[in-house]
Amino acid sequence: MDVVNQLIFLGGGLAVISILATRLSARLGAPLLLIFLVLGMLAGEDGIGGLHFSNFRLTFAVGSVALAIILFEGGLKMPRDVARLVGPPAFTLATLGVLITAAIVALAAVWFGGRTPQEGLLVGAVLASTDAAAVFMLLHGKGQAINRRVTGTLEMESGINDPVAVLLTLICIELVGHPDLSVGWFVLKEFLLELVGGVVFGIGGGLALRVMLERLTLSLGLYPVLAAASVLTVFAGANLAGGSGFLAVYLMGVMLASAPHRAQQVIGRFLDGLAWLAQITMFLLLGLLVTPSALVADLGFALAIAFGLIFIARPVAVYLCLTPFRFDWREKGYIAWVGLRGAVPIFLASIPILAGLPNAQSYFNVAFVTVLASLLIQGWTASRAGRFFGLEVPDQPHDEDYPDLGLGAAGTRELCGIRIGARARALTLDYNKLPLPEGSHLLSVIRGNHPLDHFTGKRPAIADYVIALAPAEDIINLQRLFGERQQDKVAELVGFGEFVFAADTPARDLALLYGLPVDSLGKRDGEVFQPIWDETLGDLLHQRLGKTLVVGDRLELGDVELVVREIKDGRVSSVGLELETRRKHVQAIRLVDWLLRQTGMRP
Amino acid sequence: MEIEDLITPAHVVARLKATSKKQVLQELAKRAAELTGLHERAVFDVLLERERLGTTGVGNGIAIPHGKLPEMKTLFGLFARLEESVDFDSIDEQPVDLIFLLLAPEGAGADHLKALARVSRLLRDRGVCEKLRGTDQPEALYALLTDSTASNAA
Repeated sequence: MDVVNQLIFLGGGLAVISILATRLSARLGAPLLLIFLVLGMLAGEDGIGGLHFSNFRLTFAVGSVALAIILFEGGLKMPRDVARLVGPPAFTLATLGVLITAAIVALAAVWFGGRTPQEGLLVGAVLASTDAAAVFMLLHGKGQAINRRVTGTLEMESGINDPVAVLLTLICIELVGHPDLSVGWFVLKEFLLELVGGVVFGIGGGLALRVMLERLTLSLGLYPVLAAASVLTVFAGANLAGGSGFLAVYLMGVMLASAPHRAQQVIGRFLDGLAWLAQITMFLLLGLLVTPSALVADLGFALAIAFGLIFIARPVAVYLCLTPFRFDWREKGYIAWVGLRGAVPIFLASIPILAGLPNAQSYFNVAFVTVLASLLIQGWTASRAGRFFGLEVPDQPHDEDYPDLGLGAAGTRELCGIRIGARARALTLDYNKLPLPEGSHLLSVIRGNHPLDHFTGKRPAIADYVIALAPAEDIINLQRLFGERQQDKVAELVGFGEFVFAADTPARDLALLYGLPVDSLGKRDGEVFQPIWDETLGDLLHQRLGKTLVVGDRLELGDVELVVREIKDGRVSSVGLELETRRKHVQAIRLVDWLLRQTGMRP
Repeated sequence: MEIEDLITPAHVVARLKATSKKQVLQELAKRAAELTGLHERAVFDVLLERERLGTTGVGNGIAIPHGKLPEMKTLFGLFARLEESVDFDSIDEQPVDLIFLLLAPEGAGADHLKALARVSRLLRDRGVCEKLRGTDQPEALYALLTDSTASNAA
């Protein structure tokens, strides 16, 4: 019994420490997953914990469950419109991109490590997928919001490329084990089976789960448990049938999110917590599993592979895959840089060990060092990269940011409670004079422990608790009004437009007021040149940029820029006028300009 | 383009009293008319027309109302600190208490933009705004507005 209790104590204790350590992550700016991994290593045999753990089979089992949960949750969080926006580029990156990455890494492995082509390809396959977990966590972490085209592509790519990498790894293991195998037919059959199986199980499972959630009346707490249990069933079922379980659960998440149902919120919350637990468990376990002192043997080779992956393979793959899709070079640069590797490569690298391949430990070591390098180099600089490439956009409201009072019955509006922060803007005006967003109402103000009688004529005070009914998208505006002053990031964002106009403002009005180069504006229809006079700013942006627009897209007009501030139903609804073009603000552009001047390519 | 090129100490109103956006614009038009000899009504109309296109409340309690007038000869700036902040339909829905008015001649294309950009950059500096809110002496306000020119001339 003592052993059991010791194990429970250890497991629980490590999880608690990991969660406490998330605060450290915020302070240090270190990627969270890196901290979990390091904690696991510290607890392990070369660390202060001294725990011996080398059970690859158990790690594989736990890792599978954890990854299934994480991928399902990733699918759940993928907003519907994102798939429409970035579906094709993300799919290309997840398939062709994985192959290109694996091939380049394979070359490096053959070159620097003297591996056989098959072994080299296995190294490449293991490392080829970006980790949904690492990327999701980085992107959903508060702090920074990035252009949706970019985040959507990264998230969706990392959701779909795991199944592809798993498949490629399994095929490579067969190849290394049986070098005489005829590749063509085997690979094709295997690939089709995994793909079809994954799609069928994913869509079928998603539909079945949706029907169950709609038809069954259960205790509220059981809905998320039903969802989680269904996920594991579909995952293992698809695998047993020869399909890709990872693909299946990701699609299942997408399916479930695609139509509203009554348990949406409770499942979302529960799965969010469960995904965290899965992350922590997986990284702690992988940290425990590794023997840092054994990494030294392969360190030189591993570092060469890691650098080749980060600085050559990933950028080349991104460049080749995204060039047909009208991505700006800065967007490509960011996507190339933030292709983080997470738990998946380490997890995949344990398969050669389980399969008993020769030299199997070295795959594991290479994967571990690469992931560590990726988290350190790319993870740590990810938020700086967003600024460097000038892709930051105003932060969107997150539902975690305000206490949800759980009364979903208020029509399209939501109840929220906000505590007035120090130096809040609201402190300067009486409650009835505050500029509330349209459709918002203050219901009550709690001061101390008591509701304030007739609060409307009174002056807000710090620590008042304001209960308001507001449209969901305006809650962030209420927070700006009542919350601590540093929350208002919109106006702080340099280069997002000094002045704001509705998209239906005639372009002519702006052209006259700011002396924009009108002559160059307009579209050529055969021989006839139509000036912009009757166009709205929205039309102008849609026509000139010619792609599905996202917040943060911009159009340079002489000395100024128009920037998309808001999108509604696929159309621009609000436009910012930036008085100075971004050449002055964006470091990446300044760097390129400087390089062009230095090399004499630009005067 | 520097702030000194836009305002003199006489162009600083330390305690403007107004209770609405419209009243703020009226007061500004009145002061601008006194200082330039323009018609108060003409200035007010230009400002109001610009606000109809979209607010000039740029957030963080700042507004930069502006417009072009054919009668103007040079760029004209006027800074006002409101006694009490008013709702200005700002982009962040915050009430406004610091205002920089900018009027430009009809033909001032690039200069108009440069001046607007300069003012906007100045008032985006949180430190400067805190200091501007902390004093109601016109001389001190003018010094703050122009002082930061050196440090902020990136």
